[in-house]
Amino acid sequence: MLTRSPDRVALTGASIALVSVLFLPAASLRPNRLAQGVAHSWLEAGPVLAIPVLALLIALFSAFIGTRAVRGHALSSTGVLLIGGVAFSLGSLSDSLLAKADVIARVSIGSGTWLTLAGAAIIAFSGYQALSDVGRRGGSARTRLLYPVFTLVLLGAAVADGGLAEVSLAVEYGIRTTVFWPAVGAHLRLAGVSLMLGLCIGVPLGILAARNSHVRRVALGLTGIVQTIPSLAMLGLLIAPLAALSAAYPTLREMGVRGIGDTPAMIALTLYALLPIVRNTYVGLAEVDPAVVDAGHGMGMSRAQLLWRVEMPLALPLVFEGVRAGAVLLVGITAVTALVGARNLGSFIFEGLGQAAPDLILLGALPIIALAIVADIGLTLLANAVTPRGVRSA
Amino acid sequence: MIHLQGVTKRYGDTLAVDELTLDVAEGEVCVLIGPSGCGKTTTLRMINRLITPTSGRIMINDRDASELKAEELRRSLGYAIQSVGLFPHLDVAANISVVPRLLGWDKPRMRDRARELLELVGLDPEQYMTKYPSQLSGGEAQRIGVARALAADPPVLLMDEPFGAVDPLNRERLQGEFARIQRELHKTVVFVTHDIDEAIRLADRIAIMRDGRLVQYDTPEAILDSPVDHFVRDFVGSDRALKRLVRVPVSDVMDTDPPVARRAATAEEMLAEVKRTRFVYLVDEDGRLTGWLDRAQLKGGCSVEDALSDADPHQVAVAPDASLKEALSRMLGLGFRSIAVVESGGRLVGQVTLGSVEGAMTDSDDHQGAPVAPELDSGDLA
Repeated sequence: MLTRSPDRVALTGASIALVSVLFLPAASLRPNRLAQGVAHSWLEAGPVLAIPVLALLIALFSAFIGTRAVRGHALSSTGVLLIGGVAFSLGSLSDSLLAKADVIARVSIGSGTWLTLAGAAIIAFSGYQALSDVGRRGGSARTRLLYPVFTLVLLGAAVADGGLAEVSLAVEYGIRTTVFWPAVGAHLRLAGVSLMLGLCIGVPLGILAARNSHVRRVALGLTGIVQTIPSLAMLGLLIAPLAALSAAYPTLREMGVRGIGDTPAMIALTLYALLPIVRNTYVGLAEVDPAVVDAGHGMGMSRAQLLWRVEMPLALPLVFEGVRAGAVLLVGITAVTALVGARNLGSFIFEGLGQAAPDLILLGALPIIALAIVADIGLTLLANAVTPRGVRSA
Repeated sequence: MIHLQGVTKRYGDTLAVDELTLDVAEGEVCVLIGPSGCGKTTTLRMINRLITPTSGRIMINDRDASELKAEELRRSLGYAIQSVGLFPHLDVAANISVVPRLLGWDKPRMRDRARELLELVGLDPEQYMTKYPSQLSGGEAQRIGVARALAADPPVLLMDEPFGAVDPLNRERLQGEFARIQRELHKTVVFVTHDIDEAIRLADRIAIMRDGRLVQYDTPEAILDSPVDHFVRDFVGSDRALKRLVRVPVSDVMDTDPPVARRAATAEEMLAEVKRTRFVYLVDEDGRLTGWLDRAQLKGGCSVEDALSDADPHQVAVAPDASLKEALSRMLGLGFRSIAVVESGGRLVGQVTLGSVEGAMTDSDDHQGAPVAPELDSGDLA
């Protein structure tokens, strides 16, 4: 099938990338880690720049032509190629910039690079979308999965090429390799455990809320109020009572309950996770067709049987939707808990802010964004998987 | 079988059901009917204890319902409701097997039972076992609702407007099928409806309720013939003679030997047949109705082929378990003086004529009990 209208999404991405390549700084060279830098354009990257430029031109061209399947493959591969090309060009650029500079000089990634990457991601995404739309003719799901894999391979190759390791973000990482991965682990652990606690408290609370209007008012009201408390204020509020508890009961202190650190962080995060989980559990149960409940009772199901065999399976997709919202929320708020002494990716951000070192802030912020996206996608897939066959939207 | 003794349900100051005493004999269909708010659904729901009576006693099979465990009581009473309430996350087989599963049947037994019930309600098991409720039409869902109520073979069925949510044509069919199933199974049924035609057609006894009280409890014939007061008279309506036809299934009065010719026969053979009777139904090799031929159409040198009328059995025929009232209304609607009777497979099994309807009406007007097959004039023109 020939598609006549151009792919607008891909064109948008390509335009963003084109403007960024032509007019925005690719990187800035700074005399040292903290000083203001001087912007440098893509044109200084050298011959390797041909790859992204070529990829961009092919993307622009293929947004207009071809069947959906052909266009999908063309856009996906040029998007991937553009990402790889930008990575290689950046490496080459930082090589050539640093060759002429001081040892303590740093190359920071410029707005042109970020926006070109964003444009490339949009192009690749539109291609991927086109392939999913045409289904089988766009290749099997496994074939489509090759594109993200290929992206990672290209990025790996660009890193191995050497130039990228000179970029300030990589240097900051290099200095902190020993604490970076433990920080990622701690971040995931804190957010994950709090989410689990939220689930263990939130689901029963949601069930009670669906059964009893008094519980509903109190539970939804309180969790709603919790949500309006700024995270920093919440952590501050927890310090005093926890410190007092810890002082009064040595056993608690031995268990690690303190006014600062992971304990207040976990309590605050669990409280934040409650609202989406309680609300969605309640809504999921409340939306079960009353006729279904009446039929279940009338056929002799006990309340527990009705809940576990009928109501919960039907409410499960919404419950998972709540868990997903909670997870994304927690990955973000976990960063803030670094302020009360929980060590995680947020620590890098606050350290970077303290030192006025923008690349250190990025070392904390970028993985947090990545984790949030992964949590979002993963839990969306899980929510689809737990949706009973008979109620999946046709 | 079911015995209600002075049952009362009070909500605050309002009496939903007031000192109701009612007996339903084993194997009988008792239809509770009345205007909305008369307490009929409340009464039904008190029988399986979805609602607890304020006072009074309900005995089921000589056992006091309030002394049984509510869940166990309900598992022994089939339950079907207007909104069906199939479980959307379970397929049809699992939906039918809800009560058997609660009772701990093993899997093969549940599957066999589900197949058996799908056949009973006229749905192909191969096709329907693995479907989900969202893939069913309203009529199919209602049939499965009835199958589900019958799953554990309960002696008692409680049905709350089970055919209320489907279109009139489908409702006719479902009522016919219910009547057929009931003739096979002889369940004790308590059936709530607000449709007097449905009540007259399906009931052995009708309980007419008003403001929580029982106004009249009698056979449909007796209620049609001698309503106790103005309320019942108005409720039944002025077309009582027509309503009697609702009680008579087509199969009771149909002429089982209608004029028939094979569609595949030559024009001469068909012509010979139509000369003799003026009108013939045409059937294929398997006896399925495909059309008819009318001598009147042959006038003016019209060829046999041109005079053939094609028949869509759904439009120009009725089922044997349809009511005579439906047959009559279809004949009047089509402008025919007779209508073919066709089985579910499409096979022609007989015809009903205006004459036979008239016979059935005169018959019940004379209060001579059950109608007998009247004399038939097989030469009646369509």
